[in-house]
Amino acid sequence: MDLLNTQARFTSLLENDVLARLERMRLLPRRRLTNRSRGEHHAAKGGTSTEFADYRDYVPGDDVRNVDWNIFARLERPYVKLYRHEEEMHVVSIVDGSSSMQFEGKFERAKQLAAAFGLMGLMNVERVSVFSCNHVGKEPVFLPPCTGRISRKRLFDFLEKIEGGGDFPVEQAVEAVLRRHRGRGIVVLLSDFLTFGDLERPLNRLFSAGLEVFAVQILCPSEINPEVTGDIRLVDCESGRSVDVSSAGDLLGIYEEHRLALEEELGILCRQRSGRFLSISSRDPLDWVLFDLLRRKGWVR
Amino acid sequence: MTWWPFIASQWAWLFLLLVPLVIFYFLKLKRPRLDIPSLALWRSVLNDQRVNSPFQRFKRNLLLLLQILLLLCLVLAAMQPFYPSGADRAKYLPVLIDTSASMAAVDTEGKSRLDEAKQEVRRLIDNLLPDQRLCLISVASSARQMTDFTDNQRVLRDALEQLQVSQVGSRLEDALRMTQALARTVPIETAVLYTDGNVPPDIDFELPFQLNYQKLELAGRNIGITALNARRSGERWDVFVRIEGTKSPPGVEELPFSAAVVLLSNGNELGNELISLTPGQSQRIVFPVETEGARRLEVRLKPQGFDSLETDNVAWLDLPAGRPLAVYCPVELESFRHALGGLKDVLLYPSDEGEAKAASYDLVISDRKTDIDLDAETFLFVGVLPDDLTKLVRIDESVAQVIDWQRNTPLLQHVLLTDVQIADRPVSAEGVRDRDYEELGYEILVQGRTGPLVLRKDGGGRALYYMLFHTDRSTLPFRVGFPILVSNAVQIAQQQAGLLEIVGRQTGVLPPQHLQPEKEYDVVAPDKNVSRVRSAVDGTLSGVGAPVIGRYSIRDGNTELASIGVSLLTVGETSLATVDQLQFRELKVGAAAAMLKSDRPLWPWFAGVGFVLLLVEWWYFQKRPGGLLVR
Repeated sequence: MDLLNTQARFTSLLENDVLARLERMRLLPRRRLTNRSRGEHHAAKGGTSTEFADYRDYVPGDDVRNVDWNIFARLERPYVKLYRHEEEMHVVSIVDGSSSMQFEGKFERAKQLAAAFGLMGLMNVERVSVFSCNHVGKEPVFLPPCTGRISRKRLFDFLEKIEGGGDFPVEQAVEAVLRRHRGRGIVVLLSDFLTFGDLERPLNRLFSAGLEVFAVQILCPSEINPEVTGDIRLVDCESGRSVDVSSAGDLLGIYEEHRLALEEELGILCRQRSGRFLSISSRDPLDWVLFDLLRRKGWVR
Repeated sequence: MTWWPFIASQWAWLFLLLVPLVIFYFLKLKRPRLDIPSLALWRSVLNDQRVNSPFQRFKRNLLLLLQILLLLCLVLAAMQPFYPSGADRAKYLPVLIDTSASMAAVDTEGKSRLDEAKQEVRRLIDNLLPDQRLCLISVASSARQMTDFTDNQRVLRDALEQLQVSQVGSRLEDALRMTQALARTVPIETAVLYTDGNVPPDIDFELPFQLNYQKLELAGRNIGITALNARRSGERWDVFVRIEGTKSPPGVEELPFSAAVVLLSNGNELGNELISLTPGQSQRIVFPVETEGARRLEVRLKPQGFDSLETDNVAWLDLPAGRPLAVYCPVELESFRHALGGLKDVLLYPSDEGEAKAASYDLVISDRKTDIDLDAETFLFVGVLPDDLTKLVRIDESVAQVIDWQRNTPLLQHVLLTDVQIADRPVSAEGVRDRDYEELGYEILVQGRTGPLVLRKDGGGRALYYMLFHTDRSTLPFRVGFPILVSNAVQIAQQQAGLLEIVGRQTGVLPPQHLQPEKEYDVVAPDKNVSRVRSAVDGTLSGVGAPVIGRYSIRDGNTELASIGVSLLTVGETSLATVDQLQFRELKVGAAAAMLKSDRPLWPWFAGVGFVLLLVEWWYFQKRPGGLLVR
C-alpha cells in the first residue's frame, strides 16, 4: 500500500494532499513589484483589465472611450474609469545549500518550502526560479524562470536533485544570485542565517532589485535548544574551525539570548526593507508551517 | 605545641600529583568534540561571556580549580592534620577514672560524676589521633585495667561504657603503681586522672611521670550514714548510728538537712527518729536493742529533699545472740581460774561442777602447747614457747626483767609490769633482732632485757598470745595488774567472738569466715552475682570481694552458712569532700584549672570537604541544562 502511495506521489518533497491545498493558495506580497510582461498579478499602476479600480477627473488627452457616460449624464461632469493592470510577478527562491543546512533535516525543509512557494507562484501564473548555493566560487545551481502549471514537474525535479554541502555564506549567495537574476517580485530566502558576514548589504541589494524579501530561518532543534554540558570542543562543519567551551551548560542562557537577538535583528532588517521574516524549526510539522503559520503571518492566503 | 600539625607528613609527596593534574587538564585529553552547523552564535556567546563575566577566567578553569581543591583536600586528609590543643601530646596516655562510691553522686540534673567523667573521656577517645594510644584504668579501692594501650576507638568506647561505680572508697596508690608498671613497657610521660576530687589527699607514692589531675565539678549536697556499730551494755545492745552531711560550698549558706532514720530488725521496725543536721556536721543516734536472739539490723536513712548519693542511705549490722563467754583454763592455772571466777558472763571449763569440755571455746588460757588444737578464737599461752620460735629464743632459768611493753595494746591496757620478777628468762639467739620475730608474724608486746617476754600472733582468724614465762614462776599473779590482764584477755575474746562490740562491715572485702578446709563455696552478691570461692587449708574463706552494698550470702549448695551485710560507711565518700591538691611523697599535684584539651583530628573534615567538592563538580558539570525554550 505504501509502495502504491509512493509511486503515486507527484513529488517526493510534498504529499499530494499538500500539493492540492497549495495549488489553491496565493502569495501575498506587501509591495506590488511586477514585471512588464502580462500576467495575473495586479500591478500597482492602473491598467486595462476588465477589473474596475477607481474613477478620476477627465483631463484633456484622456481616451474618451474610458469616460463613464452614465456618470456624465447624471452629474454633467466627465469622469474617467480606471481599471486594474495585471502583470507578471517573479518569485525567486534562494535555497542555502551549504553544509550548515545539512543538520537534522534543515535542507530538506528548505527544499520543501521552496517547492511550496514555487508551486504557489506557478499556480498564480508567476515566473518562478530557484537558486541553490553550495560552494564559494562556484556559480549557484539554478532553475531558470518558468511559469504555468506545466512547469510544476520541472520545479519539483530540480529541487529533488539539488544536493547540499559546501561553504557558501548566505550573504555571498545572495550576491551571486543577483548577478544572474533579472525581474521584480518576491525573493524567498531559505537559510539558517548563521553567518559571520553582514546581511544588511545583500538585503539592500535585494530591495533595490525590486524583490520583496520573504526570509525564512530554518534552525534544527540542536541549534534552538542545544544540550551541551561540561568542557567541550565545538567544530564548525563548514570551516572546520573549532572553539573550546568550558562549562557549556552555564552558557546556554546566553546562547538563547543571542539566538533570539539574531532572530530579532533579522526581523528588523527585513521589515526595514518591506520584507518579512520567519524563524522555524526543521522539526516543526510542515502542514502547520504552510497552512497555519504562513497564513497567520499573512504571507499567503 | 607543635608548629607542624600533621601526623603522616610522609604523604606530602602526593602534592606532586598537582603537576600531572594541571598538565593533563591543559592538554585537554578528554575534551569531547562536537560538530555543529555554525560557530557564529557560539562565537558571539563566548565574546559576550568574556565581556560580561568578571569571573570568566575563573569559570573557564573552574573544573581545574575544583580538581586542584579536591586533590589538596585528599592529600591533606592523607597527611592526617590535627588541631593542636596547645598541650603537649602524649603518645601513650593512661586514663585513670575514679569509680569510687562518691562518683555515683548526682547533680541537680541527675547526672552522676562518673557520667561526667565518661563524657570527658569519650571526647578524648573521639579526638584520638592515629599515633596515640589510650589505656583506661578504673580506680576505686583497687585498680583495674580496662584496656591495653590501644587506638581502637570501639574497644575504648566499649570499655568506657562498662565502667560502673564500685561502692567502695577511693585509693589511688594501686592505680598509680599499675601505671608505673605499664611505663616499663611503653614510654609514659603523662597520666590523666578523672575524679570528683573525693580522694585521700596524701598518697604514698613517688610519681615517675606527670599526673594531670582533672577534677570534675561538684555534685549536689548529700547526707548519709557514716558509722554503724553496737556495743553490749548489760542485757542490751546500744546501736550507734552516725549521720553526716556535706559541707556548704564556701560563701553559701544552705538549709539544714532533714531526714528520718529508721531501724529495722529482721524486717520489723524497731525505731524511727527524725533528725535535722547542719551542713558539715554529724549527729549520733543511739537505738537500744535487746540482746535476746541474733538480729539482722538494717538502718535506713530517708532524706527529705535532694540527696546526691543513695548508696550511703542504708547500712546493715548483724548482732549475735547474747551468751556467756566460754573460757577453757586448766585447773593447774589456779591464778587465772581465780581471776576468771570473778568476771561476769564467763563460763569456765573445766567447770567446778565437773563439766570437763565444750565443743568450742571463746578463750583458751593454757600452759600446754597441745591445747592449740582446741576450737577457739583467742588463745593465751603461759610458759609456752612456740615451735617456730625455738631457733630464735631459748628459755633460761634465771631472772628476767621487763624493760618495756606496749601500754596501748588491748591485752596490757592498765597493766603495770614494772618490777615484776620473772624466774624464766627468754634469751634471743645470737644476732636475732626484733625484725626476725616480725618476719614470722609475731608482735612483741613485752620486751625483756635478753629477749621478748610476751608475743602476739594472728593467724587463721585466731588471736594467739604467748607469755614465754610461766606466771607461776613470776610475781605477776600477785600484782594488781594480773586480774586486769585476765579481764583484758576476756574482753579481747568477747571482741573476737562478737559479744562485746559489733562494727558495721564496709564494702571492699568480706570478713574472713572459718569454714571447712579446702572446700568450694558459693558467694551470692546482692546483685545476684554468684562467685565460687575455695577455702584455705585452715578453713579460712578470705579475700572475697564485696564491691556492692547489701547482703552477701555464703552458701554450701542450698544451705546458707553465713549472711553478711556490708555498707558504705565511709566518711570521706559521704562527705563528698574534695581536695585541690594531691600530696605525693616529694611533690604536690594540683587540680587542673580547665578540662584536658585534646588535639582534634581534622582529616575527617578534609575528607568530607573533598567529597562535597566531588559532588559539586559532578553536579555542576553534569547537570542537565534547564530553563530554555523548547519549541
